[in-house]
Amino acid sequence: MIRRTVAITRKEIIHIVRDPRTLAIMFLMPVMQLILFGYAATTDIEHLPTVVLDQDRTLQSRELVDAYRASNYFDILFYVRSETELGRLIDGGQAKAGVIIPAGYGRHLTAENQASIAFVIDGSMPAVASTAFSAAQTVAQAQSTVLIQRVYGIEVEEQPGIDVRPRVWYNPDMKSANFMIPGLMAMILQVQSTILTALSIVREKEEGTIEQLIVTPLRSVELIVGKVTPYMVISLFNLMEVLLIGVFWFGVPINGNILLLLALGLLALLVSLGIGLFNSTIASTQQEAIFLTFFLMLPFMFLSGVFFPLEATPKVLQWISYFIPLRYLLVIVRGIILKGAGLSILWDQAAALSIFAIVMLALAASRFRKRL
Amino acid sequence: MNSRILYVIYKECIHIVRDPRTLAVMFLIPVVQVILLGYAVTTDVEHLPTIVLDQDLTPQSRDLIAAYRASNYFDITRYASSEEELGRLIDAGRYRAGLIIPAGYGRSLQKTGRAQVSFVIDGSDPTVASTALPAAQTIAQAQSLELAAELIGLDPTDLPGIEVHPRVWYNPDMKSVNFMIPGLIALILQFLTTLFTSMSIVREREQGTMEQLIVTPIRPPELILGKVAPYVAISLFDLAEILVIGVFWFSVPINGSVALLLALSVLFLLTTLGMGILISTIARSQQQAMFLSLFTLMPSIFLAGFFFPLEAMPQVLQWMSYVVPLRYMLIIVRGIVLKGVGLRILAGEVLAIAIFGVFIFSVAARRFRKRLE
Repeated sequence: MIRRTVAITRKEIIHIVRDPRTLAIMFLMPVMQLILFGYAATTDIEHLPTVVLDQDRTLQSRELVDAYRASNYFDILFYVRSETELGRLIDGGQAKAGVIIPAGYGRHLTAENQASIAFVIDGSMPAVASTAFSAAQTVAQAQSTVLIQRVYGIEVEEQPGIDVRPRVWYNPDMKSANFMIPGLMAMILQVQSTILTALSIVREKEEGTIEQLIVTPLRSVELIVGKVTPYMVISLFNLMEVLLIGVFWFGVPINGNILLLLALGLLALLVSLGIGLFNSTIASTQQEAIFLTFFLMLPFMFLSGVFFPLEATPKVLQWISYFIPLRYLLVIVRGIILKGAGLSILWDQAAALSIFAIVMLALAASRFRKRL
Repeated sequence: MNSRILYVIYKECIHIVRDPRTLAVMFLIPVVQVILLGYAVTTDVEHLPTIVLDQDLTPQSRDLIAAYRASNYFDITRYASSEEELGRLIDAGRYRAGLIIPAGYGRSLQKTGRAQVSFVIDGSDPTVASTALPAAQTIAQAQSLELAAELIGLDPTDLPGIEVHPRVWYNPDMKSVNFMIPGLIALILQFLTTLFTSMSIVREREQGTMEQLIVTPIRPPELILGKVAPYVAISLFDLAEILVIGVFWFSVPINGSVALLLALSVLFLLTTLGMGILISTIARSQQQAMFLSLFTLMPSIFLAGFFFPLEAMPQVLQWMSYVVPLRYMLIIVRGIVLKGVGLRILAGEVLAIAIFGVFIFSVAARRFRKRLE
């Protein structure tokens, strides 16, 4: 049995090596993804291009503009004279935010201690808009505190108040890379290996060579194991690639046990293997296999919490997410890497993954045997 | 020439229809994506599961908890009895935030007017953490202001202050779906046309039927046009599908001209079809074609600013984004749909995709002809 499996593995390796371009892409893809996930997947906005319309031109208004300038969030790039001009800059996308200080701002502030300004924000990207807006409010609030101090002569330090001491756990610098790179590891384990498994079997079907394999004394288990082994190795290699670059280049801390990570990673690969095999029994051409896999992977990516917090999605989608193995894998990978969690905390997630692995493999194997 | 193109189109349509499953997927992918992006892509963090450890148990500490409970951000569903319990539950991911009110909080607040609490936040997802942290601080600040007003003997509303009136343009309700659906139009156009064009041409080569096509009187441009035409039709149909679901289900407002949107989408197709043909001249198997398409698509999605704002990326990546055609198309689609702007404001972006289109398509056509000869 082992001899026959090894023979199939050798045949598959020859296939892979004869196509050096695909092989190169398979190894380069994680590197590219890593750079994108590590650097580009962030909503931490700073230096938002901002336009100022100061209709007041008093000491007070200049103070406020200075306060905005001093914050990290806003880069004041333009001063305009009219609202139309401000509108044009934001329409054209050169500026994303605008501060409008109305005439009379300074007078109101000295006479009544209170004044208001308008803050225009390009809301097309809500994540940016809501961060920018709270930043704008914080700046104004800080100015208000300065005012209270001036008017009532209270020292800021002596002001009554509740001091909230933040303690950011697991990712104290709040670096996006620390969140995204473990997510990428989970995705590589799940997405890439599913596509590769499905394709490798459907290709034999499409080219008609599966019949030749069937007439050999090979059993279907040997065929499957032999064919997918090289791809499992590639996926594990990719995982190590991401892990190494993540740790040494992006400085992602690994707080948990790497062996546990690898062991549970292998478990996740079994799930992908099951899904890939299952797809290969449905699809008859490579094109079909690719589209089927994509079709499945879309919900995988969005309903598992790779990019976006699951808590923010509607309840129905949260229920659906329980049927997505990537959900559990993400909790595991992020738990081990960021939180340093062990099996005592992650056992339920691991159990869920095991159930998926058994069900998917059993389902795929029974369908596969029938097709043969 | 016309009838020959028609034959190629006819042949390609037969291919497509004979594979009803792929056809179904082609029409369903946009629907699934619209629903997923419409509902699942949101960073609006509300109702964050929060656990409280109240070691003080005074009216003051209960006031503070009530203030947190009243906000939309935090759902206080459990009280812990010790820091270990709080830590364990956050470790397990059951809670994302924890409020710790130390013993003596109420006394200190009464005596000195000042007190401290700790706010624990699961920082693994920085987006969530960076929204939750200011929210936690704002709540405490509001409480502090009330205290300050009491101390001075003023009504809190009479305290000096600068009020910021927000005016959110283009997407006043700040709905993520309004941002995602226009982007999806551009993304689907690129995804479907590039992948399908490259794979359908490579399939002919892989199966050896390309030679049979070459010996017919069909000329290379006719072959290209005939083969891509059905996919152009499908992707335009998908575009309409997204628009209809977006407008009627998610009520995304279309502030600009739909005709302009369609015209510029066709212009953009020149680029994406060109990339598909280019990939088909490089790839030797369907697998290679798929990987190459993905290899160009992945960076496009990130560097064009589809999910994440360009402004937040490192400078180098922002420069690289200038050579990604999708970047310009996203500005165009979002500009037309959300901002309702016209050609005058989008002239630069239109010029950019026109140049990309002509350049990529002509390079692709030349390479394709060479490979045939």
